[in-house]
Amino acid sequence: MISNQILQTTIDGIKEISRVDFCVSDTDGKVIASTFEVGNEFNNAISSFVNSEADSQVVQDHQFFKVYDETQLELILIAQGSNEDTYMIGKMVTFQIQNLLVAYKERFDKDNFIKNLLLDNLLLVDIYNRAKKLHIQTDAKRVVCIIETKNEKDSVALETVRTLFIGKSKDFITAVDEKSIILVKELEDGQGYEEIERVCNTIVDMLNTEAMVKANVSYGTIVKELKEVSRSYKEAKMALDVGKIFYSTKNVIAYNNLGIGRLIYQLPIPLCKMFIKEIFDGKSPDEFDEETLSTINKFFENSLNVSETSRQLYIHRNTLVYRLDKLQKSTGLDLRVFEDAITFKIALMVVKYMNYMENTEY
Amino acid sequence: MASLSLRHITKVYPNGFVAVKDFNLEIKDKEFIIFVGPSGCGKSTTLRMVAGLEEISSGELYIGEKLVNDVEPKDRDIAMVFQNYALYPHMTVYDNMAFGLKLRKVPKAEIERLVKEAAKILDLEHLLDRKPKALSGGQRQRVAMGRAIVRDPKVFLMDEPLSNLDAKLRVQMRVEIAKIHKRLGATIIYVTHDQTEAMTLGTRIVVMKDGIVQQVDSPKNLYDKPVNLFVAGFMGSPQMNFIDAVVEQEGDDIVLHIGQGRQYIKVPANQAKLLVEGGYIGRTVVMGIRPEDIHDEESFIQNSQDSAFTTTIRLYELLGAEVYLYFDIEGYDCTARVNPRTQARIGDNVTMAMDLSKLHIFDKDTEQVITN
Repeated sequence: MISNQILQTTIDGIKEISRVDFCVSDTDGKVIASTFEVGNEFNNAISSFVNSEADSQVVQDHQFFKVYDETQLELILIAQGSNEDTYMIGKMVTFQIQNLLVAYKERFDKDNFIKNLLLDNLLLVDIYNRAKKLHIQTDAKRVVCIIETKNEKDSVALETVRTLFIGKSKDFITAVDEKSIILVKELEDGQGYEEIERVCNTIVDMLNTEAMVKANVSYGTIVKELKEVSRSYKEAKMALDVGKIFYSTKNVIAYNNLGIGRLIYQLPIPLCKMFIKEIFDGKSPDEFDEETLSTINKFFENSLNVSETSRQLYIHRNTLVYRLDKLQKSTGLDLRVFEDAITFKIALMVVKYMNYMENTEY
Repeated sequence: MASLSLRHITKVYPNGFVAVKDFNLEIKDKEFIIFVGPSGCGKSTTLRMVAGLEEISSGELYIGEKLVNDVEPKDRDIAMVFQNYALYPHMTVYDNMAFGLKLRKVPKAEIERLVKEAAKILDLEHLLDRKPKALSGGQRQRVAMGRAIVRDPKVFLMDEPLSNLDAKLRVQMRVEIAKIHKRLGATIIYVTHDQTEAMTLGTRIVVMKDGIVQQVDSPKNLYDKPVNLFVAGFMGSPQMNFIDAVVEQEGDDIVLHIGQGRQYIKVPANQAKLLVEGGYIGRTVVMGIRPEDIHDEESFIQNSQDSAFTTTIRLYELLGAEVYLYFDIEGYDCTARVNPRTQARIGDNVTMAMDLSKLHIFDKDTEQVITN
C-alpha cells in the first residue's frame, strides 16, 4: 500500500507551500509522518476523535481530520492551527491523501495482476477482463527483465529501480520471490532489443553506482500480447541461470544470445554424464591443469588460429603445437580439427553445467 | 582522500577466464590514475574489483591502511560514475543528487550541506530546482558527477563516464573533470579506451593488455619511452610507424637495413651501443618512429642525411592545422604528420627524413624495447 515515505513527502511539500505543519497518524495514534516534533500528546485526543461522529475537530489548537479509504477510516490528519485557513488547507490535504490511497490501491491491484500473469495463475479470459478493468493495454509490445542483486531482499536496490521507472506508468516493477526484481517494460514503436540492452545496462550501472550492489540483469524475448508476458518472464529466468553457468563475465544476459548454452541447459544430467564418459573415458576435463585449460580457452577464443593463440599466450608456436598434440594423446581429440574442437567445446560446457547443477542441489 | 594499494590482484572467472593477472599498483593520495587499453584488457574488471563489484580471486586490496577484499562496496568509502547513467526524470537536480544519501538515511541537514557543496563545485547551484528535461547534456553529466561527489568518498571510480556523449561535449566534460579533480583534490581512478582522455587527464597511466599491466608511467613517458611494441602502438594517433629492419655493422657505424633495397638508417651512437651490447648485429628488429618525427622540410633533410629516404605519396589528408601523408618505406605502410604548408601531393616523389633522436627500436621476438 502507500508508503510512509510518500505521506511524508506529501505533507513536507504542502508545508513548503502553505507554511502549515501537519502530522499523519494511524487510528491507534501511531505517528506515520509529521513535519513537526510529536510525542504522545495527541494519543487521547486521537482516540476520542476516532470514536466520534465528526469528520473534523479542533483540539488543543490543532485541527483533526479523518482520512477515509472509500468508507473505511484509515488515517488521522492533524494540522497545526485553529483558524479558517488551516481548516481549508487541512481539508485539501485530506482530499489529497484520500486520492493517493485510491491511486496506490489501484497500483497494488495492478501489481497483483502482473504477479499472477507472470506465474501463469490466470485464465486467458481473466487476463483480458482484469486488464481492461485495470486499464492495461493488452496488445502492446513488452519484454520482461529480471534483476538479481547480490543480497536477497535488497530494499535499496528495489527503491533505486522503482525510482528509475516511477514516471513510466506503463512499466511494472514487481517481485515474485526475495531474490530478484522483475521489470515488465512496455516498448514504444521502433524500440527493440537495442533499447532493452541499453535499459538493462543502465539498470546495472545505476545499481552499481547508486545502490552500490552488484547486479545481473537478464531479459526474455519481446512479446506482442499480454498473455505472452509469462513466456518472456520464463525466458528471462532461464537466461539468468544459463548466464551464471556459461557467461559469468557478463552482467546483462539476453535469452536471444544464449546460443548453445540454452540447449545444454535443457539436457538431463544422466545424458550429460553418459556423453562425458564417452568423450573423456571417465576423465573429467576440469581435471586438466590451469595451463592446459587456458591454452584451450585461448585457442577457441582465437577461432583455432595457432599463430594468434601462441602470440597472445606469449609462447612459441611449437610450444602450442606440442600442447595440442599432448591433449590429442590424452583425449583423442585434435583441437585443430573443427569437428573435434566443437565436440571438446560442447564437452567443456556440459561439464560446467553438470558442476553448476551439482553445486546448486546442495 | 586516500591512497590505494593493489597487490598481486588476479581475477579468474568461474569459467576459467583470467581477466586480470598479477596486477600491482600503488596509487598515491590525490592521484588521477587512468586505466587504458583495448576492450577486454581487464581495465573495467580491475576497477570493479576496487569497487567491490567483482570478487578478487587472489591478491590484496588496501584503501588507505585498510584491507578491503571482503568489505561491501557501500562500506568502502568510494563513489562511482559509470558509462550508462540515468537521472531520475521526475526529480529535481537537488533530489537527484540527494537520492543516494536518502537511501543511506543520511540526516536531512547533512544532505543539504553536501548537495549544496557539490553543486557549488560543479557550478550547478542555479539549477538545483530544475528537472533533468530542462538541462543540457553537459549539465546532466555534471549532475551524475554530483551524485558521486555528495558521497564525499575517499576514492572516485569512473568507468568511461564520457563515452555516451558526443565528441564536442566529451571535450568539454574532459576539461570539467580535470577542474573537478583540482578543486576536490581527490584520488580518482578513471577507465577509458580513449587515449586522448588518458593523456590529458591522468597524472599516471596504466596501460593494460590481456589482463596484464604493460606499463605504468606519466603520459609523457608513455609517449616518449614506451616499454614495448604494444604501448608504442597503442598510445598516439596516428599510431607509431613500425618497420622491420636488420641490424648491420658498416665500418664503425651501425645501420638498420630496411627491406631488400638500399634503404639504410644510420643508428645514433648511444642507441648503436645498446644494439651491439645486446647482440643484435645480424638480427631483425622493429624500428619505430612517430608520424610527427618524419619531416619533409628542406632544412631538416639537409641536416639529416643519415635518415633521409625517397618515397611516393599515396594519400594526402589535410586536417586544418596539420597534414597526414601516407606512403610506404620498402613495403611498410607509414604516415607522416607534417606542416600544412607542405608542397607534397598524391603521386609526388618526395624526400623525407626521420628525426633519429626520436627513434625507438624493439626486439622482434619479445616485442620489448631495446632503446628509446
